[in-house]
Amino acid sequence: MSRFQPLSAYEGSLADGYRLLPFRFTRLDGDDYVLTNQAGEFIVLDRITIEKFVRHDLPAQSPVYGDLKSKHFLLDADSGVAIDLLALKVRTKLRRLANFTGLHLFVVSLRCEHSCPYCQVSRQSDDKIAYDMSIETAEKALALVFRSPSPALKIEFQGGEPLLNFPLIRHIVERAEDINRDAQRNLQFVIATNLALINDEILEFCKTHDVLISTSLDGPSDLHNKNRPRPGRDSYERAIAGIQKVRTVLGRDRVSALMTTTEASLPRVRDIIDEYVAQGFEGIFLRPMSPYGFAVKTKSYNTYDTERWLKFYFDGLDYILELNKAGHFFVEHYASIILTKILTPFSPGYVDLTSPAAIGIGVIVYNYDGEVYASDESRMLAEMGDHTFRLGNVHKHSYQDIFLSDTLLTPIEESFAASVPMCNECAFEPFCGADPVFHHTTQGDFVGRKPTSAFCNRNMAIFRKLISLVGQDDDARRIFLRWINP
Amino acid sequence: MAGSRDAEANRSANVVAFSTEVFSLDVIKRAAYRIADIAVVDIDAKPGEIVCTLNFHHPQTDEDAQRLINDFKLEVLDQDLRAAIAKETEPMRNAILGYAFSKTGLQGK
Repeated sequence: MSRFQPLSAYEGSLADGYRLLPFRFTRLDGDDYVLTNQAGEFIVLDRITIEKFVRHDLPAQSPVYGDLKSKHFLLDADSGVAIDLLALKVRTKLRRLANFTGLHLFVVSLRCEHSCPYCQVSRQSDDKIAYDMSIETAEKALALVFRSPSPALKIEFQGGEPLLNFPLIRHIVERAEDINRDAQRNLQFVIATNLALINDEILEFCKTHDVLISTSLDGPSDLHNKNRPRPGRDSYERAIAGIQKVRTVLGRDRVSALMTTTEASLPRVRDIIDEYVAQGFEGIFLRPMSPYGFAVKTKSYNTYDTERWLKFYFDGLDYILELNKAGHFFVEHYASIILTKILTPFSPGYVDLTSPAAIGIGVIVYNYDGEVYASDESRMLAEMGDHTFRLGNVHKHSYQDIFLSDTLLTPIEESFAASVPMCNECAFEPFCGADPVFHHTTQGDFVGRKPTSAFCNRNMAIFRKLISLVGQDDDARRIFLRWINP
Repeated sequence: MAGSRDAEANRSANVVAFSTEVFSLDVIKRAAYRIADIAVVDIDAKPGEIVCTLNFHHPQTDEDAQRLINDFKLEVLDQDLRAAIAKETEPMRNAILGYAFSKTGLQGK
């Protein structure tokens, strides 16, 4: 077992200069580079200054010396508490790891009355036996939920359309509350639904049991209905009516919406944002298409590349900043998650942007048929016939079997960003994450080659843009601070 | 750039050589990996120099090829700097992580 030297062992050479503290640097734009330390604090410098700094040629009178010192990039004779402070910040950043699995997804039915071409999972079928979760399976899954040490447990009902199996949702919520009388966790429920089937009985149940609603809204009526076909071609009208009903019965903040970017969405980011504003949402999550399930089978996934999506995203971000500068508070949620990592000591634990990867240890999926998957994307991959991330079955395997299996531990260990080629030296690593499921799907291994990774290219471009805005646009920086400290 | 030379006779083949007095093989390999989206790099370690041949994935004009070679040289410089940082800060990196987890009960005795 390794031991660590006392602090005094490192202080010998400080009398006549400074020592470097660990940091990474990556080119930002032109001659500017971003430097980040172990806790994710950053500073932007030109290359000549970095060279001087690393070669110990930076004088203490230099204008950047104080910044480098205060942000823990160097240690000199009078920075005695720097190591303690940096260690505290590192510990704060990583504290969520000890909580283990907090998000538990129950796929209560794979059936759906929509037929969205970009959908990753749903089935057009009336066969309840084949595609609905049984009470027995739900009971086994619930027992696993409460084996997690996490003080906060979120149970999210997914589909297909989960409201097609509402009796099981009712059963799971009531059983979980029973168990929780002894377990005493912070328990939360979410139904991810298209709202087409919402009714007064369901809403009353949600009100009684404090259930949140998450729905889909792809944009204005014509775009939403094109993306999300259903009998009657009224998906948008039902979603909007449903949102209003939920707000009336449960409260304004009890319903959130997610959008998916199709090729038809690309030229219409302002329309999409305007729709969210018109419907009274205070933010939007601009999301690219995922490379799983029917999105691949129907060729929806490959209709646009990273470059086109980034143009869509940055156009949207610029427009959202315009709205905020005009006095309308409105958040882009993906940027907000990243900015929390960039500007605070905290890590929001967003599944796609965590390292070690959140598969299993942050999120787990109990599929309708009792199979357990490492993430939502893992079960979508399984619908394509690839069961790489199937961890076991609630009827056959124990908690230990599932969470200590090589099927889970190998991809987590191999994809750990701090030890992955290129990520291990990337200044954006503290803000980024490991996504072994994406890289397995798109490149055939858990790590992936980062120079050609769409995940890497997309996120690096966003990190660069956000850090540039923070440094160069005072208004944008003020807006970002409001987003992360509302 | 000190420590590197373009092989004049092989300019069309995009060859650049680095002195082993200045750069390590590990640094060159890391830089080559970084440009894997643009080119595959053949690395030939000879006495006194490391010769890199950049095989671009797509045809490049002479001007673009030269710009990409210059980017590669800059990447080698960056990697060399990163190696210097990693070497100097390795014990401190471990110390900080040790302090960070000092109250978790996960440390060795």
